[in-house]
Amino acid sequence: MLDLDLRSILKCVRCGACRSVCPVLEEVGWESAGARGRILVAHGISQGLDVDADVLESLNTCMTCGMCKQMCPAGANPTYVIENTRRQLVMRGEMTEAQRKLNERIMESGNSLGEVSDRRSWLSEYKGEIKETAGYVYFVGCLGAYRYPESVVATFDVLSRFDVTILPDEICCGSPLIRTGFDVDELIAHNIEQMRKVGAHTFITSCAGCHNTLIQSYPDEFEVMHVSEFLEQHLPELQLRRLKLTVTYHDACHLGRCRGVFDAPRRVIEAVCDLKEMKTNRENARCCGGGGGVRTGYPDLSLALAKKRLEEIPDGVDYLITSCPLCTKNLIEGGSDTDVLDLVELVRLAIE
Amino acid sequence: MDLIKKLHEIVGIDRATTSPMQLYCYSSDSSQIRGTPECVVRPQNTGQVSQVLRFANEHDIPVTARGAGTGLAGGAVALEGGIVLDLSGMDRILDIDINNLQVAVEPGVIHSRLNEVLGTEGFFFPPDPGSSEMCTLGGLIANNGSGMRSVKYGTTRSYVLDLEIVMADGSVINTGSKTLKSSAGYDLTRLMVGSEGTLGIITKAVLKILPLPKARTVVLASFDNPVLAGEAVVKTLSAGVIPSACEILDRATVEVLNAYDPNIAIPDAGATILFELDGTVSSVKEQAKIVEAVCMPFASGIRIAAGGEEMKEIWSARRLVGAAISRIDPNKTRVYVGEDIGVPIKEVPRMLKFIQSISGEFGLPIITYGHIGDGNLHTGMCIDMLDNEQWKQLDLAADKIHRTAIMLGGTVSAEHGIGSARSKYMRLERGNALDVMILIKRALDPRGILNPGKLGL
Ligand SMILES: Cc1cc2nc3c(=O)[nH]c(=O)nc-3n(C[C@H](O)[C@H](O)[C@H](O)COP(=O)(O)OP(=O)(O)OC[C@H]3O[C@@H](n4cnc5c(N)ncnc54)[C@H](O)[C@@H]3O)c2cc1C
Ligand code: SF4
Ligand code: SF4
Repeated sequence: MLDLDLRSILKCVRCGACRSVCPVLEEVGWESAGARGRILVAHGISQGLDVDADVLESLNTCMTCGMCKQMCPAGANPTYVIENTRRQLVMRGEMTEAQRKLNERIMESGNSLGEVSDRRSWLSEYKGEIKETAGYVYFVGCLGAYRYPESVVATFDVLSRFDVTILPDEICCGSPLIRTGFDVDELIAHNIEQMRKVGAHTFITSCAGCHNTLIQSYPDEFEVMHVSEFLEQHLPELQLRRLKLTVTYHDACHLGRCRGVFDAPRRVIEAVCDLKEMKTNRENARCCGGGGGVRTGYPDLSLALAKKRLEEIPDGVDYLITSCPLCTKNLIEGGSDTDVLDLVELVRLAIE
Repeated sequence: MDLIKKLHEIVGIDRATTSPMQLYCYSSDSSQIRGTPECVVRPQNTGQVSQVLRFANEHDIPVTARGAGTGLAGGAVALEGGIVLDLSGMDRILDIDINNLQVAVEPGVIHSRLNEVLGTEGFFFPPDPGSSEMCTLGGLIANNGSGMRSVKYGTTRSYVLDLEIVMADGSVINTGSKTLKSSAGYDLTRLMVGSEGTLGIITKAVLKILPLPKARTVVLASFDNPVLAGEAVVKTLSAGVIPSACEILDRATVEVLNAYDPNIAIPDAGATILFELDGTVSSVKEQAKIVEAVCMPFASGIRIAAGGEEMKEIWSARRLVGAAISRIDPNKTRVYVGEDIGVPIKEVPRMLKFIQSISGEFGLPIITYGHIGDGNLHTGMCIDMLDNEQWKQLDLAADKIHRTAIMLGGTVSAEHGIGSARSKYMRLERGNALDVMILIKRALDPRGILNPGKLGL
């Protein structure tokens, strides 16, 4: 029996106000591609609508960007309804091939990319020491560890000047699986045990997905900070020099809209160079197109949405700064003409 | 011939579907009316609409037009199956002709987008629905919608100069011309506006636009009860001030607004009136003074909004307050029924009293807000959607609200349309004029394929 939480579905008054903000609906056009449509689909399932490929597509093309939730006048929570419905269907064994594979990959390899190589191989480029115990742990994340080693090295290079270490055996935080409907108790238990071993009280994240998940799905035992928040607190100690650059900043949905981290990255950027905002920013920033499993499940849609976001880069900027490797990846693959750079790599330029 | 095969031939494989999931998503609008189509089509141009209609007419297949599906009367819901034509993808602004004070648009253009674009030229399209951010101009025209500014600027009907219409048999006509006025024959434009997709499909519209006023201000007046507020409005209008908006909010509505956007601090009062005044800087000041003087004897407090930012916030929250009243109770949801009555302005205070007593009689809190300046009141009711008894009470209360409005010489729908939710009141409200409407419908759509089951036809 599915527990679709009918009350949360019925909270939607079907006003359609979310039609004005959903980037996927704008791209796809069918009612089923917006928040109202997806809630209707969830309602349909509760009324016996067959779960076929189209139903899964409607539910799975949501980027969980939270635009709809933020603006819903009625106080409905579409992202919760969508994620809960995905979860209920997964529990009943109903999922797409992309979902099934993602789950297999992470459960087998401990990372979202299915990599079998050493998650810590980036350390070969890292020259400093690794503390055995520390108050803070830099939670590297799968995408950083395997795809953006330079930016991970840069981040740890900056962070390790403080009371920060890394986990001896970090695995995926579980974000991609939670977003697509799976339970991740094992992954959570593993990472928590590692945290306890290191004696840390705080996670430092450099990925919006990890950040949101560590806050939302991990026990309250640990604090969670984004690397921009940590750096903001330590700006004076970093003695950064000013760079002759103008950059723009892309707010990651799960860091900004979902967790309210808007100011810290901006303060860090402004400490080293000039900032020019993108057309939509802060609470109203468009998604990079990568979230919610859309990058994996619907690459064409995801890249089309990345292109729309790239159109919002203002003229005359040297870099597009991001604070999440998934956004970085999607915006680069979306064909950015402007170089995309991680926030901490920018900070590193101001240290050297 | 296989319907979906033919539709795929006309619009392409990606733009017509019979997927049960899609059909479910198109089986409702923002009302409680439900009806599942056999297929949904998303045409891209007039030619495709024309071909779909010709085929549908030849085979007696019902066709229901749909814009954004934000209608509150089930207008876009296919009651007898057939085809839903989703026109939201025909969304180009075709021409902005400032010298002729007009724009040409496709029906899927979103209302707010038109005004954003026009605003950069110093112009605007005055009808101002709460659903501005999401409704299409096609839907607005088909419903003769309006909004907060209709007290001064009138309804959509006053701004439509010409419509390109695909008739039931697939032929294409233009109802008007590019001139700002015309005496050439029957006014088919005005006939089509408000016809809710029962006489033809709008594929293009030429709309009159106006220069943006130089100045706007908002006066917030608080009253001990809605009846005093109603009297103050009647006196203001008869003192010769026509506000560009004149909105009533009862106590609960103010609570909801303040909770929805905590930056808006409207004082708690039995009722609040928001007067918006526009014009030149000096005329706005002068009008504000008159409003203050006229309201003073009735009001418990009066203040002028701090500036543009505050006004913007008040209006954007006010626009969506109808949905926001769902926030009052986590287990209840706003249900749009009986929500759009209009009464002669003089009868507003009486209607407000009736609403209070209907609320008591059926044990349902009724939140009242609306465009009091033109007699259009929105009554908002929230119920526990899982409680059948509450549904029953809700329907009874809505029925009484509708009948009371008609009894006072009013209408069951001032701007949202009749659709199927209110079709049973057409005879009562329109008498034998309904027979003329039926004759017109038969003449223009002899096989009855266009949006069957609507308007009491
Ligand atoms: C929160 C909220 C606030 C609202 N506030 C207001 C308000 O202040 N004022 C107001 O007037 N309304 C308001 N409405 C009601 C609604 O938004 C309007 O009626 C709107 O104009 C409908 O537009 P739509 O594109 O959603 O049309 P739909 O709901 O899709 O269709 C409405 C009707 O138009 C017909 N139609 C649509 N497109 C065409 C076409 N191209 N050719 C022929 N027929 C067509 C449909 O068949 C249907 O009968 C509100 C609704 C909501 C949910
Ligand atoms: S999710 Fe919210 S904004 Fe969207 S249709 Fe439902 S109530 Fe309206
Ligand atoms: S979370 Fe984003 S993508 Fe998903 S329905 Fe809401 S607005 Fe659309």
